[in-house]
Amino acid sequence: MPDWKKLVRKRLFKLGLASSTTEEVIAELAFHLEETYQHAVTNGLTQRPAIKIALQEVGDWHVLATEVERARTEESCMNYRTKSLWLPALITLFGASISLAATQFIGLQPRLVWFAGMGMTFYWPWLASLPVFGAVGAYMSRRAAGQTPMRLAAGLSPAIVMLIVMLLILPWGLFLDGFHFFRLVRFGLGLINWVGIPAASLLLGSLPFLRGNNRTAEMNR
Amino acid sequence: MPKRVRSKIARGSADLAILSLLAEKPLYGFEIARQIGERTGGTLKFTLASLYPLLYEMEKRGWVEAHWQVNAAGRDRRYYRLTPTGRRQLAPLREEWRSFFRALDDLAGVSHA
Repeated sequence: MPDWKKLVRKRLFKLGLASSTTEEVIAELAFHLEETYQHAVTNGLTQRPAIKIALQEVGDWHVLATEVERARTEESCMNYRTKSLWLPALITLFGASISLAATQFIGLQPRLVWFAGMGMTFYWPWLASLPVFGAVGAYMSRRAAGQTPMRLAAGLSPAIVMLIVMLLILPWGLFLDGFHFFRLVRFGLGLINWVGIPAASLLLGSLPFLRGNNRTAEMNR
Repeated sequence: MPKRVRSKIARGSADLAILSLLAEKPLYGFEIARQIGERTGGTLKFTLASLYPLLYEMEKRGWVEAHWQVNAAGRDRRYYRLTPTGRRQLAPLREEWRSFFRALDDLAGVSHA
């Protein structure tokens, strides 16, 4: 007799079902196939036609996977996204903000670096703490079966928020003060200072959690 | 022997068929499919592919709830039970289908066909 559970797991996993398709579904569908097979054997069929009858229950695996996915996830989609993206991103952002505030509160001064006649302030202790928050975000997303882009977004969320803020500020600044090349250069340096370098730091912590598929772990449980 | 109905009617009647069965007692998927086939003389037939998405949909809507139960042979089976919400769906669904058949009967005299 075929290993129905193994077969269902392999076919549904191959189709790239989201993590919401749990081991429970696999067990249930495999059990149905097994009962159909047993029923056919009890009715006098040999193994091969009995397997064929059982597999006719499925028809198209792709259609089944889509239907199961749709039936199970349409409404819980928000939950999944919340757990795998919004919540880890929020926690990472919160942690990074608290860390920056704490750095300033305990009086650690930013290091002033001059570049092309313009000063850039680096909060080295804060930047050094960011890999931890990047790791927390990516890890939380991975634990909630988030896909790689979600893990990345969760881990880099403070830099993404800062990027959005700066992109909103730029047109407003240009509108108020007029277009100056000097202003654009300052903006570019600001981007490096508050988005690029923090993003690199956050990415450093996120990297170990971008690889490895939580769904695989779940499937192999 | 009645012909198997493989149409949207069968699909549309699925909710009623499943809820009616589960109103009697909790059943697991294979048994739901088997009983529907048997009790309709094969007119309605649910395969794995047609049954489980419907059950999951109903579970999501809160019409049924499922729990694992070990049978005598020590195998786990996922039993579906009608919830109070599901039970409330049953009466209007029955009425809907009654109206549908009445209308069809008036139009085409199907009950005398």
